[in-house]
Amino acid sequence: MISVDFTLNGRACRIDVPAHWTALDLLRDGLALNGTKYGCGEGVCGTCTVLVDGEPARACLLLVARLRGRAVLTVEGLDRDGEPDRLQTAFARAGAVQCGFCTPGMLLSARALLATNPSPTENDVREALAGNLCRCTGYTKIVQAVLAAAGGP
Amino acid sequence: MRLHPFALSEPETVPEAIEVLARLDGEARVIAGGTALVPTMRLGLVRPDRLVSLHRVPALSSIRRDGSALDIGAMTTLSSLSRHDAVRSGWPLLGEAAHRVATPAIRSTATLGGNLCYAEAASDPAPALLCLEAQAHVAGPSGERVVPLAGFFTGFFETALAPGEILTGVRVPAAPSGARSGYMRFCPRSAEDKPLVGVAALLVLDAAKHVADVRIALGGAAPTPIRAHRAESILSGELLTETVIRGAAEAAAAQADPLSDLMGSAAYRRETIRVWVRRLLLSLS
Repeated sequence: MISVDFTLNGRACRIDVPAHWTALDLLRDGLALNGTKYGCGEGVCGTCTVLVDGEPARACLLLVARLRGRAVLTVEGLDRDGEPDRLQTAFARAGAVQCGFCTPGMLLSARALLATNPSPTENDVREALAGNLCRCTGYTKIVQAVLAAAGGP
Repeated sequence: MRLHPFALSEPETVPEAIEVLARLDGEARVIAGGTALVPTMRLGLVRPDRLVSLHRVPALSSIRRDGSALDIGAMTTLSSLSRHDAVRSGWPLLGEAAHRVATPAIRSTATLGGNLCYAEAASDPAPALLCLEAQAHVAGPSGERVVPLAGFFTGFFETALAPGEILTGVRVPAAPSGARSGYMRFCPRSAEDKPLVGVAALLVLDAAKHVADVRIALGGAAPTPIRAHRAESILSGELLTETVIRGAAEAAAAQADPLSDLMGSAAYRRETIRVWVRRLLLSLS
């Protein structure tokens, strides 16, 4: 076991966890935060994307020791007192969610983009979302939702 | 699905890392970002009993100017490399190549050192660093040594690192003044995939527009990333006419020794090299 101190969705955590666990194992199986999905397990599909110190990262590839001292944001940390945040609202309005499996990764990747680039072009959005696979929407409505969130109040 | 159980060492200095590796005598594997090693373990292709993670060695993730050169720690992530001011202004070829690897969520985790030590033939940063004539800085039980990057890649997924040695960083000399450079890659499937082939070039034209200095390097063109020396000789001293460029592209394709795999046959790769060397040189002419 190793001991890991980190910040999860704004709250300080200290947890003892097997060294061979990934951040995804910790989130889903250790902490029952199932918003972060297990897709391919190889860093390809994007469904396990979380933000680590504001940058998107694949939870399935990160050994849990890598979280030490860092700030992790998962989809559970997006809402504001139970109200959906700007991106979540835009996704719902645009019909950017169908089965929903890719949605947490899409939301977090989009959030990282808007934090550094508040007025992205469509191409910026597509580049930022690259590597988050969606098999339902054809991406158009997801891109529209991110652009709407960027332009919205 | 969980990874197999393993022990983890987290040394905080390079000497400590070397000592841990020496004590374990080849039983351990070094992990940098883990974007290649973790999937490889998940597939069961390697099952190390112990990993030695270098993420707590602060000296390995710094980028420092030393005179006209840039020293890049092996644990520098590809995203911080491509965003770094000195890299963007002085070594744009490297920043561009680092930015083309995979996706944002991989670049935030993957490291330059891990990319080079994995020794993927279709590495994006490797051709850029070959053009920049970078040197690999290696530390091991018998001290430190410097290996020109061209000699660092010794075979298919093989490097010059001896057991117990680690790559501590890369030194990148300044590009020649007035150099123009570019990196192009071709992905037959999705853009976030590794490239079928990647082509980097750096060249300097003299006042009369003759090629005064030229370096071309290829990824996915041989068992290791390579310099396209024959294409360079064809261009050297010449005007960058379409005919000369075509000749150089043919030479690069002829020098290539590509592999066949699920992404493309050797013949397809060779043809792709010819096309993309030509396109890149045209874009720089």
